[in-house]
Amino acid sequence: MLAQLLFSGLALGSMYALVALGYHITYATSRTVNFSQGQSVMVGAVVAYVLHVTLGWPLAAAVVATLAALAGLGLLVERVAVRPFLRSSSIAWLLSTIALGIIAENVAMLAFGKDARAFPSPLTRRPWTVLGAGVYPHELLLPLAGLAIAGTVEVAFRRTLAGKALRAVAHSHDAAGLMGIDVGRTITAAYVLSSLLAGIAGVLLAPLLNVSATMGTTIGLKGFAVAIIGGIDSARGIVVAGWLYGVLESVVAGYLGTGVREIVGFAVVILVLLVRPAGVFGGRALGRV
Amino acid sequence: MRRRTLLLAVAAVAAIAAATTAWTQPVKPPVKVALVAAMSGGSALSGEAIKRGLTVAIDEINARGGVLGGRKIELVVRDEEGNPSKGVAAARDVIEREGAVTVFGGLHSPVGLAMLPVFHELKVPYVGTWAAATGITRNGRRPNFMFRVSANDDIVDHFLARYVVERLGRKRPGVILENTPWGASNQEGLTKWFGKLGAQPVGFEKFNWNDSDMSAQLLRLKSGGADALVMIANAPEGAQVVRSKAKIGWDAPVVSHWGISGGRFAELTGELAESVVFVQTYSFFGKQSEVGERVIAALKAKYGLKGPEDILAPVGTANAYDAMHLVALAIEQAGAADGVRIQQALENLNVEYRGLIKTYRRPFTPDEHDALNENDYILVTWKQGKIVPVAMK
Repeated sequence: MLAQLLFSGLALGSMYALVALGYHITYATSRTVNFSQGQSVMVGAVVAYVLHVTLGWPLAAAVVATLAALAGLGLLVERVAVRPFLRSSSIAWLLSTIALGIIAENVAMLAFGKDARAFPSPLTRRPWTVLGAGVYPHELLLPLAGLAIAGTVEVAFRRTLAGKALRAVAHSHDAAGLMGIDVGRTITAAYVLSSLLAGIAGVLLAPLLNVSATMGTTIGLKGFAVAIIGGIDSARGIVVAGWLYGVLESVVAGYLGTGVREIVGFAVVILVLLVRPAGVFGGRALGRV
Repeated sequence: MRRRTLLLAVAAVAAIAAATTAWTQPVKPPVKVALVAAMSGGSALSGEAIKRGLTVAIDEINARGGVLGGRKIELVVRDEEGNPSKGVAAARDVIEREGAVTVFGGLHSPVGLAMLPVFHELKVPYVGTWAAATGITRNGRRPNFMFRVSANDDIVDHFLARYVVERLGRKRPGVILENTPWGASNQEGLTKWFGKLGAQPVGFEKFNWNDSDMSAQLLRLKSGGADALVMIANAPEGAQVVRSKAKIGWDAPVVSHWGISGGRFAELTGELAESVVFVQTYSFFGKQSEVGERVIAALKAKYGLKGPEDILAPVGTANAYDAMHLVALAIEQAGAADGVRIQQALENLNVEYRGLIKTYRRPFTPDEHDALNENDYILVTWKQGKIVPVAMK
């Protein structure tokens, strides 16, 4: 029973982590997040579904087109909901990104319909048996994808010039500007990147979550919780925190019952905020760039 | 000066009114009926299905010349968004402003219960087409303005429990249900009926909307020794239950309430759908009666459906279709578009109606306001994407 709970929790937690990484990228540069990240994941899943299933495109073409569309969405989010409020240093972006998410959800309901649709994947047809526990092969894909993405993000942030620019902007907008970094463009790039991640997450989660206009709400919220627990500054922290949170949920639900799952889960969030405000794995000082 | 202008205006309005009445006399005013249901949000599919059933029936009635000697029936639709207070406001609005003489209700039981006092105050009948809470129709009022052409949780729970215990011979069922008032109402019903049938439920496990993995809950039931699974869920979560069940390699039979028929359960679960039996009032698959053929043809023509697999939330459409025809017969028998007389006519309907779900002979009495009962439910399952009946002993 424990093995089963661990596997289920790991898959679930990887979903949260994939969403949470999107929060990480924009926070790391602009100290803002797109609170409709969950809805962006939904848009990714819906676009991929329409291209691949409704219009019958090959999967690879559908994924590429989806990512292009999501890059556009990231641009839109940044222009419409974040940039106008950055200068005034107000937190209006908080509400405006939530508003954009609600709009996205309702547009999806109108355009895509209200019922959940199945995203076919050869990896969710038959469960495998691993260590006596059942697991869909697709579920094993998620932790790997989370690791790969977190690794790429960390390396890119540390090793490449563009990554360094992103981190420099995070450190101080003014200083980065003086060093010749185009701050506005860098933040835009972060939002595009974060939206691309949402697209990848959407495609990866679609076969497990089903595709529907409301699929982003819960994972968006849990993803944010995971980002807070792991430390929104740390990509690898987020992935590990995602796994731990998923396993915690699964084990609590399995041994104590579903009723207490959310209570325990969100109590942990508050506890982490109290004990380590920067997150379990966060809080390392930013090095020189 | 002011008074004179006013007088002039009144006179002018009166003259226009007189002229238009004279002109429009040959066209009789329509008889208005209303639908107050969830037309947006997660249950929007049910509202649309009900609206379609009502519309197809109204088209038939109007094509025959309407009711009360040539008055057409007109449908007014209001969205209650699943919110009881919006339902109450909408019920008042359609009756007081629009002049609806009967109001049809949608999927949400809490909304139906909240609107109950309004219908008794304004003396206009409510006819439920989906919401199954027992207390909507069994409310102790006399005269009772609440009618229903749909299921009733209490009766459905008895039906499901009997199937599990008597037909499948399982005595230790596990129950998984959604963490909502609908789930709670069924927990009550199933506890009662399993108890009376001498079966001991292993446990009642809950999940929230949009949950994606149910293996923890199912493991608890499985390791508790459950030999059958009763499921109270809507399509997306129901699909996750069935997928998680396959994942943990549990092969107990699944018996489900009709919530899963409100979406694309078969598409979401693939061949796993065939492991689930569930309750319906009607199936548009298989051999159809003359009425069934006619309704399917009308749905195809009006809404561009390809076949019965496109009739989503079929119970809503079927229940609403029969409900509308029963109401039209009651209006005819009442002889007037008047709520009190329609209420009396519904309770004493003296014509037989050959409907979609069954042939109705006196569907309602002062004591029984549910037109459908256990004998009218069918158990069905999926076979290659089609809904087929399951033999019931």
